[in-house]
Amino acid sequence: MSIAVRRHQPAGVRPGPPDGSDYVPSSYEARQIAKSFAGARALTGASVRFEPGTIHTLVGENGAGKSTMLKVMAGVHRPDAGELILGGEQLRSLTPRTAQQHGIYLVPQEPTLMATLSAVENLFVGILPRARLPFSVDWRAMTQTAGSYFEQVGLDVDPRQPASTLSIAQQQLLECARALVHRCNVIFFDEPTSSLTAHETEVLFDLMRRLRGRSFTLGFISHRLDEVFEISDRITVLRDAQIVAEFLPDKVTREELVTAMVGKEIAKRERRHRDLSGAETALEVDGLSASRAFSEISFSVRRGEVLGLAGLVGSGRTEIAESIFGVRPATGGVVLEGRPFRRRSPASAIAAGLIYLPEDRGHHGVFANVELERNITAATVGVLPRFGPLLRPAAEKEIAAKAAERTRVRAASLQIPIKSLSGGNQQRAMFSRWLLAEPKVAIFDEPTRGVDVGAKADIYSIIDSISDSGIAIVIISSELEELVLLCDRVIAIYEGRVVSEVAGDEITLERLGSMIVGEVAK
Amino acid sequence: MSVATQPAKPTRRGWRALDTNTRWLLSLVGILVAELLYFNLGVSTFWGGGWGNPNSLLGYGEYFLFTSMMALGVMFVIFAGDIDLSVGAMSGFAGVMMAEFHLGGMNIWLAVVLSVVLCAVIGLIQGLIITFFKLESLLVTLAGWFILQSAAVAWEGPVPPYNLPSGFESALGTGTIGGTIPSQLIVFAVLAVLATLIVHRSRFGRQLVLIGHNRDAAAYAGVRVSLTRIRAFVLSATFAAIAGMCVAATYGTARDDLGPTLLLPAITAVVLGGVDIFGGAGLVPGVIVASFILGWLTPGLLQDGVSDTWTSIAIGILLLGSLTAKGMSDRGQGTLLRERLRARLGTGPPTSPPTSVDSA
Repeated sequence: MSIAVRRHQPAGVRPGPPDGSDYVPSSYEARQIAKSFAGARALTGASVRFEPGTIHTLVGENGAGKSTMLKVMAGVHRPDAGELILGGEQLRSLTPRTAQQHGIYLVPQEPTLMATLSAVENLFVGILPRARLPFSVDWRAMTQTAGSYFEQVGLDVDPRQPASTLSIAQQQLLECARALVHRCNVIFFDEPTSSLTAHETEVLFDLMRRLRGRSFTLGFISHRLDEVFEISDRITVLRDAQIVAEFLPDKVTREELVTAMVGKEIAKRERRHRDLSGAETALEVDGLSASRAFSEISFSVRRGEVLGLAGLVGSGRTEIAESIFGVRPATGGVVLEGRPFRRRSPASAIAAGLIYLPEDRGHHGVFANVELERNITAATVGVLPRFGPLLRPAAEKEIAAKAAERTRVRAASLQIPIKSLSGGNQQRAMFSRWLLAEPKVAIFDEPTRGVDVGAKADIYSIIDSISDSGIAIVIISSELEELVLLCDRVIAIYEGRVVSEVAGDEITLERLGSMIVGEVAK
Repeated sequence: MSVATQPAKPTRRGWRALDTNTRWLLSLVGILVAELLYFNLGVSTFWGGGWGNPNSLLGYGEYFLFTSMMALGVMFVIFAGDIDLSVGAMSGFAGVMMAEFHLGGMNIWLAVVLSVVLCAVIGLIQGLIITFFKLESLLVTLAGWFILQSAAVAWEGPVPPYNLPSGFESALGTGTIGGTIPSQLIVFAVLAVLATLIVHRSRFGRQLVLIGHNRDAAAYAGVRVSLTRIRAFVLSATFAAIAGMCVAATYGTARDDLGPTLLLPAITAVVLGGVDIFGGAGLVPGVIVASFILGWLTPGLLQDGVSDTWTSIAIGILLLGSLTAKGMSDRGQGTLLRERLRARLGTGPPTSPPTSVDSA
């Protein structure tokens, strides 16, 4: 091995020019990408082509496959099938690192900076400029050049400031600067605006327009349709792991776009009209508060009523539900079927007839490697049939089979690990788990996240039938259509407070859309 | 079954149809049989000329059955995704405590019961510290190890207590039932059946395993996670204390030094038995079989003329090899590895050809 020549920098990893001036515009295309996660199909043969000088937006409901597509194209996920073609060249075995070497950068939904390192260190991470001595870093060069990168992206911070002191918006701009340092000119933004204020969003959009002016290839994901129409040059719609439509923003109406995103199957479903004025109150929440997350939350639900909790991600919806269920602490009162529910914990909640279907099925719901049967009975282990102290396997199997049938779980056997089922069937199994607990009040957090259309319809009919049987239901959902279809009444949570309420036919997409951003009346 | 309306995959038969836990248990039984056949055929002295002989196969039990008991105890904790490093020192401490109680004038059986109960209380305290202060079980039980080992040395003084009643030594140590079945084997069998029923047939065991698979999901499913984990530490300490009684009875003296050397063999038996070191997966019978494989391997190889050092190396290789094989088979990694190698060598990566994956 020759060590005679010591290169200070391996070729090709010098920081790029701040203005991206050495960029050769090229298109980036994904062909027939397929990707599954533990049996849940995230993409099935989806193709999309990003052109230079274009801001190309992917839209779709949660779980449609937008993020997965960008992550596959940035090397975060390895596709099960399909090809990636950058400027005519096929990219094989892409990893985040090799993607960056090809000039592809993904600004993640939650910036992943190293919190204790300074802004400038984060900027140059991976390609620290070396000084003359071995293992030394040229700090002066770094700090000097950092300024020009920050200027390019409109970031006004002290380069020595720790990354943890930056706002989310500043962190995202820093990520963009990092993309420039790494000579990246295909830049993907995975829902960057979901936690930005209106002004911060405009700053980001300004930067994106400037990059577009330099013929960068830009991909963008957003749930906010106003933004989509404002910034996009092209719009691609994903639904249920596939590309369903592609539009030019000036040639499509908002309604057409929503229909493409939601799909006709669901859109056709009729709202139900029910009179629940005589029903007794099943759940009453009185002045529930938890530091920072939410404060003074009060609402009540009648037997058989379906109440929606609308709100943006981060508005505190999930935290409220988890506090009622006893997963996280909160002050304030909860009354269940007329009896105060104190010393809240999941075990006592289930015993008292209150259940909660968590939002994050992968981490808080399924036991991935455990058999379907035991996943279904997991919340009711305490009341399974026994012979003395010993569980009776045959009786348990019968119970699980009945529960699975009730929610139409499709599986080859009850004995296979739940991870081998599709997302829809996993969620059906979660419903069967919670129905076994014979709840009086059920809180469903994002009940149809990451499930296919068929499972969605099944879940809607399960919710209909259990609400008809007198169970009070609270639904948390980011999909406003879902709330419109299912709920008798909807309250909106904004920045940890209940800001507005609608009931009956006044529940419309437009009304909910303005409620979740904190508008009280229209 | 009514749920099987839509078969997801063609039904597999035979070996492939078994779940990974069962496959591993059967593999272990195979290894054990192979081991016994090898030593039986190759080393005539291993059988020791008959079942009644103290040098016989069963007679060797007194060199490792207390390790097996300790393995069963620490297994509860490992099922929940925790670890208990204090069990070795706990067994030594239990023996010293029992002997000192007895030499202080207490009835031997009362001393035995009292020390086991007190050790259970120590396990309870460790569990409370771990769950209440949300500390890593590894660190808390490591501290417990130091404290218990030193406490045992301090308590016994310069001369380890000896001269225990022969009835006790015979009942828990070297005695046999009808001159054939070692009494220690009976103690172990009772504990083994108990452990199997607790883990696989009780509510507590079910919840313990769920915690090991996914602690957060268990909490959301209403499992009292802290309480269940604490109970596991109590069981672990109890089993270790019983093992300590058997050690004292076998050697006729309470030994503070022997316990800690049993810790790693006990954990080895648990992981070789197929229990996931991060919790969840595994079968108790697997641990039982694995503890016998390891227990007989050492005297077998020694009889075979293999040196002590090489015996340890052999155990290390057995553990490494079998766990690698198990991990790869569980994850279907054989195919994955081939694919990765092919991609690395650049000969036709299987990801590139466009496929017509399509679903309406």
